[in-house]
Amino acid sequence: MSLAAWVRRARTPAPAPVAREVAFLEPADLFDLEIKDDPEASPVLCCTGDPVGAAAFNALWLKRIAASGRYAAAVSVRGQGGTPAAAGGVEARAHDVVQAAVAVPRQTVLIGHREGASWAALAAGRYPAAGLVLVSPRQFPKQPPKPVGEPPVLLVVSESEAQSKEAQAVTDAYGVAPLTFAGSPDDVFKGAAAEGLLDAVLSWLAPKQ
Amino acid sequence: MQEYSSQAAYDRGEAVCVIGAGASGLIAVKNLRENGFEVDCYERDTVLGGLWNPQNQHSPLYPNTHLVTSRSQTEIPDFPMPDDWPDYPSATQMLTYLTSYAKHFGLSEHIWYGSEIAAVEPVEGSRFEVIVKPAAGNAARRLRYAAVIIATGHHWAPNLPSYPGQDQYRGTVLHSSQLKDASRLRGKHVLVVGGGNSGVDLACEAAVNAAGCVHSVRRDTWHLPKYLGGEPADYALNRLGARPKFLRRFLTDRLLNGPARLAARMGIEVPGRGPGGEEPVRNGRYLEHVGDGSIRRRGEVARFDGYDVAFADGTEMRPDLVVFATGYRPQITCVAAPLLGVEGTGGTPQLMARMFSPKSQTLAVAGLVEPGVGVLPIVHWQTHAIARWLQVRKSDPERAKNFRDQVQSETTGQADGPGAASPRHRLAVDAEEYLASLARIIDTLEQEPAK
Repeated sequence: MSLAAWVRRARTPAPAPVAREVAFLEPADLFDLEIKDDPEASPVLCCTGDPVGAAAFNALWLKRIAASGRYAAAVSVRGQGGTPAAAGGVEARAHDVVQAAVAVPRQTVLIGHREGASWAALAAGRYPAAGLVLVSPRQFPKQPPKPVGEPPVLLVVSESEAQSKEAQAVTDAYGVAPLTFAGSPDDVFKGAAAEGLLDAVLSWLAPKQ
Repeated sequence: MQEYSSQAAYDRGEAVCVIGAGASGLIAVKNLRENGFEVDCYERDTVLGGLWNPQNQHSPLYPNTHLVTSRSQTEIPDFPMPDDWPDYPSATQMLTYLTSYAKHFGLSEHIWYGSEIAAVEPVEGSRFEVIVKPAAGNAARRLRYAAVIIATGHHWAPNLPSYPGQDQYRGTVLHSSQLKDASRLRGKHVLVVGGGNSGVDLACEAAVNAAGCVHSVRRDTWHLPKYLGGEPADYALNRLGARPKFLRRFLTDRLLNGPARLAARMGIEVPGRGPGGEEPVRNGRYLEHVGDGSIRRRGEVARFDGYDVAFADGTEMRPDLVVFATGYRPQITCVAAPLLGVEGTGGTPQLMARMFSPKSQTLAVAGLVEPGVGVLPIVHWQTHAIARWLQVRKSDPERAKNFRDQVQSETTGQADGPGAASPRHRLAVDAEEYLASLARIIDTLEQEPAK
């Protein structure tokens, strides 16, 4: 975030606070002796454009991420899942993601799916994320802010959207080549395709942070 | 430093030394780490949080200390405070915030507690030799760093006035930092000396707890309530900065008209002050306590006399307790005064762009400003600039030159501060101007150099 962007933000009204629903799972919560909490690994915070919100990640994602030794969390932004609706557009939802990110015990990786990818990208412009993962972005901002603290960025899209304009926009903005996965972009929460996708994301995270 | 010289210095290579683990120190460590530096942070106390930690044995907190600037204007730009916190968080919440900041970015592992810096000496190649004196034992260590950032703050050395007859005064005299518990005020006739934020806060504390409160102020200051037009006052005023220039004056006057008339009714005349002038005193309750008579305002103290205190206007009183809320003197003892541009003894540091040493390229001070707005964001951008500068200094001579020219021009442009008349305001800067100057400095480090 540049100084000018901060000056502008300090002059705009903050979005109305809401009680956000946050689902989280620590490696110790899995009651599995095989799984060791890795204190060096960054936590992971997920958000999705799906109206279910954080609950969408309960089926597979949180368990899988926690099993890799990371603190796994997911947030429902305003209007999703258990979080009450409140005024505010994309900026307010990005605010919700930032607020959830600073409540995570350590510097966190942001994973955004669908509209969640644009909120995560905006949040990464205000909070120094440990990494930014954009899964099948939709309604992505034309000029996303430069991520604070220069985190590594990963773009994952389904094979069908590899040539879409969203994927192209993200590629241009961050200079990263997309990683593709088989299956529908809306169906990433369970099933074999979802497991493959998640493993790819986790193995991308592993060596970096 | 004869006593240490037998020991060879341990070279820490390109690592940077940060002195102090208060708010400024923590922000400096985080921003340096983010820019790839190795950092050693030394804290003389055994806790982090600096002045916000009541366990710090030098803590300047007084009962019921709250922020005087609102949450949105005070939070660190890239680590916002929880949005369900009040507009004006308390000192306890501030400590919680700083602790979670340190934990979130893993800063604690870089902090050495109980380590006072005895001396910082420049050595060849614009590097520094730092002598660290542990609180326990006497084995001082000597380390060599590529750069030193001083983040010790300026709320540690109490500024105590001396009035005639004060030595023979028989009552109790305390500095605001010594008054840890409001129960000490209960049932007493209290005299509060000093018209700054702490003086006004303590007068309000005494107004509800003590049997009587007299508030002695040397001169009238600009009073600002904590809310203006239904919004936190600093936010409301900052928001006007986004308006066109010709409207700004008019809107500001309209916003400040009510509080100014109230202050005038309470006999506080502030000629020619206003926004852009000296830092206001921010307290919404004070003028109401003056209005209901629980705070009686007097002029300057003339002399102490036995149990009595006489004021300049000829009146006298017999207080049970005198509280000096007379602030602090900026004092940096670990570095030789000329390195910071201090002239004579007890002078104020004259820094380049209010953060860089005029003598050395690799010595900087974070947070030695009073911008009249939240200081944490200012420190964030200062340390951001310092970290970028340390990166650019060696790797990119062209930007380094642009940067030096820019800092030079910002320094010659910097006035003595709007309220240089009072020693209290020697560190004061106009926030808007200073942020613009910081932005220009950061631009020379980050943007493509202009051909």
